[in-house]
Amino acid sequence: MSVWNYAVTAQKPTCVTHSCVGNFTSPQELNLIVAKSTRIEIHLLSPQGLQTILDVPLYGRIATLELFRPHGEAQDFLFVATERYKFCVLQWDYESSELITRAMGDVSDRIGRPTDNGQIGIIDPDCRLIGLHLYDGLFKVIPFDNKGQLKEAFNIRLEELQVLDIKFLYGCTKPTIAVLYQDNKDARHVKTYEVSLKDKDFVEGPWSQNNLDNGADLLIPVPSPLCGVLIIGEETIVYCSANAFKAIPIRPSITKAYGRVDLDGSRYLLGDHSGLIHLLVITHEKEKVTGLKIELLGETSIASSISYLDNAVVFVGSSYGDSQLIKLNLQPDATGSYVEILEKYVNLGPIVDFCVVDLERQGQGQVVTCSGAYKDGSLRIVRNGIGINEQASVELQGIKGMWSLKSSIDEAFDTFLVVSFISETRILAMNIEDELEETEIEGFLSQVQTLFCHDAVYNQLVQVTSNSVRLVSSTTRELRNKWDAPAGFAVNVATANASQVLLATGGGHLVYLEIGDGTLTEVKHVLLEYEVSCLDINPIGDNPNYSQLAAVGMWTDISVRIFVLPDLTLITKEQLGGEIIPRSVLLCAFEGISYLLCALGDGHLLNFQLDTSSGKLRDRKKVSLGTQPITLRTFSSKSATHVFAASDRPAVIYSNNKKLLYSNVNLKEVSHMCPFNSAAFPDSLAIAREGELTIGTIDDIQKLHIRTIPIGEHARRICHQEQTRTFAICCLRNQPSAEESEMHFVRLLDAQSFEFLSTYPLDAFEYGCSILSCSFTDDKNVYYCVGTAYVLPEENEPTKGRILVFIVEEGRLQLITEKETKGAVYSLNAFNGKLLAAINQKIQLYKWMLRDDGTRELQSECGHHGHILALYVQTRGDFIVVGDLMKSISLLIYKHEEGAIEERARDYNANWMAAVEILDDDIYLGADNCFNLFTVKKNNDGATDEERARMEVVGEYHIGEFVNRFRHGSLVMRLPDSEIGQIPTVIFGTVSGMIGVIASLPQEQYAFLEKLQTSLRKVIKGVGGLSHEQWRIIQQREKNCGSEELLGWRSD
Amino acid sequence: MASILGDLPSFDPHNFSQHRPSDPSNPSRMVPTTYRPTHNRTLPPPDQVITTEVKNILIRSFYQRAEEKLRPKRPATDHLAAEHVNKHFRAASSSSSTQGL
Repeated sequence: MSVWNYAVTAQKPTCVTHSCVGNFTSPQELNLIVAKSTRIEIHLLSPQGLQTILDVPLYGRIATLELFRPHGEAQDFLFVATERYKFCVLQWDYESSELITRAMGDVSDRIGRPTDNGQIGIIDPDCRLIGLHLYDGLFKVIPFDNKGQLKEAFNIRLEELQVLDIKFLYGCTKPTIAVLYQDNKDARHVKTYEVSLKDKDFVEGPWSQNNLDNGADLLIPVPSPLCGVLIIGEETIVYCSANAFKAIPIRPSITKAYGRVDLDGSRYLLGDHSGLIHLLVITHEKEKVTGLKIELLGETSIASSISYLDNAVVFVGSSYGDSQLIKLNLQPDATGSYVEILEKYVNLGPIVDFCVVDLERQGQGQVVTCSGAYKDGSLRIVRNGIGINEQASVELQGIKGMWSLKSSIDEAFDTFLVVSFISETRILAMNIEDELEETEIEGFLSQVQTLFCHDAVYNQLVQVTSNSVRLVSSTTRELRNKWDAPAGFAVNVATANASQVLLATGGGHLVYLEIGDGTLTEVKHVLLEYEVSCLDINPIGDNPNYSQLAAVGMWTDISVRIFVLPDLTLITKEQLGGEIIPRSVLLCAFEGISYLLCALGDGHLLNFQLDTSSGKLRDRKKVSLGTQPITLRTFSSKSATHVFAASDRPAVIYSNNKKLLYSNVNLKEVSHMCPFNSAAFPDSLAIAREGELTIGTIDDIQKLHIRTIPIGEHARRICHQEQTRTFAICCLRNQPSAEESEMHFVRLLDAQSFEFLSTYPLDAFEYGCSILSCSFTDDKNVYYCVGTAYVLPEENEPTKGRILVFIVEEGRLQLITEKETKGAVYSLNAFNGKLLAAINQKIQLYKWMLRDDGTRELQSECGHHGHILALYVQTRGDFIVVGDLMKSISLLIYKHEEGAIEERARDYNANWMAAVEILDDDIYLGADNCFNLFTVKKNNDGATDEERARMEVVGEYHIGEFVNRFRHGSLVMRLPDSEIGQIPTVIFGTVSGMIGVIASLPQEQYAFLEKLQTSLRKVIKGVGGLSHEQWRIIQQREKNCGSEELLGWRSD
Repeated sequence: MASILGDLPSFDPHNFSQHRPSDPSNPSRMVPTTYRPTHNRTLPPPDQVITTEVKNILIRSFYQRAEEKLRPKRPATDHLAAEHVNKHFRAASSSSSTQGL
């Protein structure tokens, strides 16, 4: 049973909610601090750009983030308040590079209605107090004493109940706030108050301004000497102070974020809801404001925060699209834009929906998300694998092999790249301009194919061709010695290291040579009974230049053999079984364990642990990496050895905790790979693929790789149909100019190219709510079913919707039938060859009926009432699990004989649901809108009906993220021979762009992890003094759900 | 005419001077190290654990008014003022207990 669940993060939150700039890490350093849901990132401004210093997890959802400079301090402090009313003041200790907590506290009140418009946390510019607006009608003050220490907080009654914004004014002798509020007639005004710290009360402020723009939503305080405040509305911008009032009209827009440009506050950047950036200029003369000007600069992602950094570079934080680094140019470009986008930072949020697919059918799930909102909407393909960052590439067809060589054996960097073709060999080298150009090594043969190349001792290079082995000086590049193959015996395969060469000629002759200073000595020759298919003498012993063992793969008997060098004594013969010959063998050592890897011609890989003294092979394991022959090569990255398996599904083999792991490389097909560590491209790989030679660096192993498909509209539902190799999405496009501001579509996309194949526009006011790929009883076709709702402005809840059934024909969506419903179709599920729909408060089952004329229709069979809104439905067999708007989870059962759906059990808690999933027959997983995860259990053993009708909560966990969707699946490759493949997992996606995994563990493993977590709590402290234990608790109960954040483990 | 974007602030002219724009179509992912503090300065000094004054706003205003009434009658010496403070505290405890009832 899946009672013991463990939540892990696969992708941390990516959406930026706050950002600020200041001297945080040292008085001289300028930092950008970014908040992403529950994490803070500290960046350093440098000549090269933004450098990320640290990612700081916080045990709370960040509500406000401010940098400030207390009196007498040389650098800024960071004030952070969380949504659960905790706050902390953090300081960076330069000496120890640690974050230390200067102050913290709980600012919650026992009574009080939380504000509707979010929490406000502000700091007086003269650092006399911190102001917080957390509950309607209350303003909380945390005063500073004259040494910059915080004192006990107190509340002040605030008459204005509907507060939209509060800011401190600059240049006031007493701390003064401006309050933007809405009265009970929905008119908006600004009022100012002085905070009297002595009387702990407000005193009427210097000015007020009534009857502002109805869309006024944001205050920008203007620094000295101008002072006053800017009131940003939807149609006007007003500057207001005790003695001045200026207003300008603007093109209707909703300003979402602002950033101050000049220290004196004469210019501001404003970012609006459609991603346009404006510059607002306060014109002034002799410290008097004379007017306002506004200018459109260009377009960015829809901003949630704007921070001016330095030298015309600005950070645009976004929670709807990728965050960006932009440069403001003096003159507009050809399109009239002053904005140049320098960099984009991936943001997956909000993940509204996603599906898990295995497009390449390689046993590894990929997540395709509906990410972003409005014009920044996109699909993102998230997969676990290794990306190659391409540095350079040239077109080169027909590469048969590649090796890198040094100009001297002691050099740190590689100089030459030997590229072999079917009838020639070319040498490439880096020139002074860091370009790869063709050169020559005179002693090498260039008119034939090279079978193998290697650096050799005494500054020599060795080349093996089908007729000879050539030893060349790496300094003079001239031939020093050579060994010729006997006439009629061409060399078929060869390998070498710095002092040894092993080759096999036709007829099964295995020849072993040793390299000396200008000498090439044939040491041993044996005749084997079959032809050799592959061989290797990669040194894995103590001597990096000499191998004691040789591995040889054989034709005919399909075996791999281990010989001892130099005598070529056979010590091990391992039959591989099957009929597929070994194509590549490799001796390698990971974490002190020696392995023999053996790749077969059909994309399978065998691995053995190798006893280097006896040559014994044990612990044989077989995995499938691709379908084509694999070539194995070692390379190092970050001082660890990895193996690159080049094939049609390239992969990297590495070791973790003394276990071999496989990670896909996100390239389509790689025929050859060799490490190429040149001065210009350090730690790089040379990769031959699809007629191209690419030089690139390799990403960190085990990172998620994200590909973005921008669609320019907001995708809300996605579904994959394997049979037609397509995706279908429900999406909407905003068109501000048109009569109807939104248009909704069903779109069909190619699963490989993600191109739009076909579009079905929905009616006016019709929203796509759900989408499903399914087939029905007695019908072999697969269909896309789309559930919609007519969202009319005058209705509270939709009373009409449709179910549309499409078939994909020749890459087009063909509507087969449609069925009108009496409400919004929130969910669709395939259910016993029928269609199960959740329509407003009802669950409805439809049969797929054949009409007399041969056409099909959906016919209502039965239904179940009794929900507030049945938003999320999952099914398993005859069971139906419903996540209700506010009535938590209920379990229904379909009774075939009676043709009826009945309630079987429910959770009586009043959880407002965000997502549900079925973990197994008895355990159901839910996420609610308070950022909690919980599991409920069906009570099969209850004594009475009443007991059985009540589901028991068996697990609770505060994930701190709004989960939009659960899906069964895994992001890691499920290898048949590993026990990890047996652990059931559910993936979830959240509003802040986080992707997580919930793994149902065996009880012992869960107990171990929980114990580890408890122990780690004692070692790893909460940043800002926040407690991990309190953070993860819901209602003082925490059961059976562990977290990884302390453990730092990953889902593999 | 000078550009509206002229004279943008420069705190350190070197910042971004060697920035090489990466391919904007290929968003970069900053993968910083995750901070896991093990030192004991994650807890603030004991006097910097802030709580909110428990006194109700209404009661606080009663005292303030009472204080204002008292003051003009007896322009007190420092010594007397201290006595008043004591009285306040007693009153505070009694009135908050009546509140509780």
